[in-house]
Amino acid sequence: MAAASNAIELKGVSLSFGSNQILTGIDMRVEPGEFICVIGASGSGKTTLLRMIAGLLTPTSGQVLLHGKPVRSPTRRVAVVFQDYGRALLPWRRAYANVSLPLEAGGMPAAQRPARIRELLAKVGLANHEDKFPGQLSGGMQQRLQIARALAQEPDTLLMDEPFGALDAMTRQTLQDEVLRLVSERKTTVFFVTHDIEEALYLGDRVVALDSNPGRVAYDIKVPLPRPRDQLTTREHPEFLRLRREMFEIMNKIHA
Amino acid sequence: MIRSRTLDILLGIAGILILLGLWQLVTSYELISRAFLPGPAATFRSLERGIVEGALLPQTWATIERMLQGWLLASVVAIAIGSLIGVSSTARAYLQPTLEFLRPLPASAIIPVAIAVVGLSWKMVLFVVVFGSVWPTLLATVHGFAHVEPRLVEVSRLLQMSRLAFIFKIGLPNAVPDILAGMRLSLTVALILAVVGELLTGELGLGTAVLHASRQYRADDLYAGIILLGVIGLVSNYGLALADKRILAWKS
Repeated sequence: MAAASNAIELKGVSLSFGSNQILTGIDMRVEPGEFICVIGASGSGKTTLLRMIAGLLTPTSGQVLLHGKPVRSPTRRVAVVFQDYGRALLPWRRAYANVSLPLEAGGMPAAQRPARIRELLAKVGLANHEDKFPGQLSGGMQQRLQIARALAQEPDTLLMDEPFGALDAMTRQTLQDEVLRLVSERKTTVFFVTHDIEEALYLGDRVVALDSNPGRVAYDIKVPLPRPRDQLTTREHPEFLRLRREMFEIMNKIHA
Repeated sequence: MIRSRTLDILLGIAGILILLGLWQLVTSYELISRAFLPGPAATFRSLERGIVEGALLPQTWATIERMLQGWLLASVVAIAIGSLIGVSSTARAYLQPTLEFLRPLPASAIIPVAIAVVGLSWKMVLFVVVFGSVWPTLLATVHGFAHVEPRLVEVSRLLQMSRLAFIFKIGLPNAVPDILAGMRLSLTVALILAVVGELLTGELGLGTAVLHASRQYRADDLYAGIILLGVIGLVSNYGLALADKRILAWKS
């Protein structure tokens, strides 16, 4: 029962491609509704870890469990938001039809879809853009669209792989707040990969830092900052500044 | 350099006019006997007779019908087999060698086989048109499926989409630009083979009309038929180009 209460549990997870060890001995527990951020340099295997939780990759050894059940293949209860929205969206489908995809895949009756799709588009601020093709939307809007599509799955776990890495600073902050608002509404568990320490601290209940070559957990800290978070007050909070310094020092030590 | 569309159209018309002028010159100076090459005026009179008075209309429709039937059937077959190969490595392993054997065979080499199997009839023509025009679209469909963005394959896995759902929601839409290009090539092949088939079977059509005109030394009717065939090719190609633009609106 104790194991089943974890939304995500990794037990001694290792992965190697041939003689190339990517991840080794990863142990991690994520509680339901927890927002966990994973940081690490490129090559630390953070994206690989996310792909294993998604069921896109199978660990060489160890186990990945979702709500106590081993992951063997992807499930619609887990949604993934990729960094490269330009490739993850269907370019020939308008915004509306992109959000429709998971509903179609999940077998929702056609009559129920329009209301649900419009509700989701409105949630991410794309209500007036439902007839546009992804290529006609800005980067930030395309990423909003991908988030709406992920939410259409009504996932209990949301995996986000550096989702704002390709966006400008202003758009990035807006989207950070939108994601916080959207997941707190539904108490969604979030596994958020980033290489940005401030982003990790701003969003997360917990931050896990990965060491590279091979990837392993270097550090796991709680972020006791009050919610709802705010781009000004949270980032000026003494605890935020203290944690930021601590994380920087850790990351420097790791990559020294 | 960006030229306006109007200028492009004017240049295209100018090209046709120059060709007509050269034709007129060649016939005015009788560089080629009028018995073999009538002037544009005589040819257009024949064309007028054929179309306005309706003498060539049944033949024209027959050829267009034959071409479209074969082309549509070939397209359906090509897209179905191409999709199958595109999503199933087993299907690919089964079919690829056979297809690679059949593909280089000239459609004309298949004609005797077709005659032997289905007889010297419209069915033979349809068979040959389908056989010849299936390849461009088939290869294009396979190519389109082979180049699906890997990220979208992952999206389909994450959404637990069935193979059939993958074909219709991701594979085929992704292959549409390739398929349309293939279908344009196929249409030209279909027209050629429809005419060849008519010449062999003597079925009603422009090919037969041209052959008869030639045997009876009606050079003006011969060229009128050829011009009509050219126009069929031109119009169908423009029609498809227009359809391309509409269907691929998301690309612009």
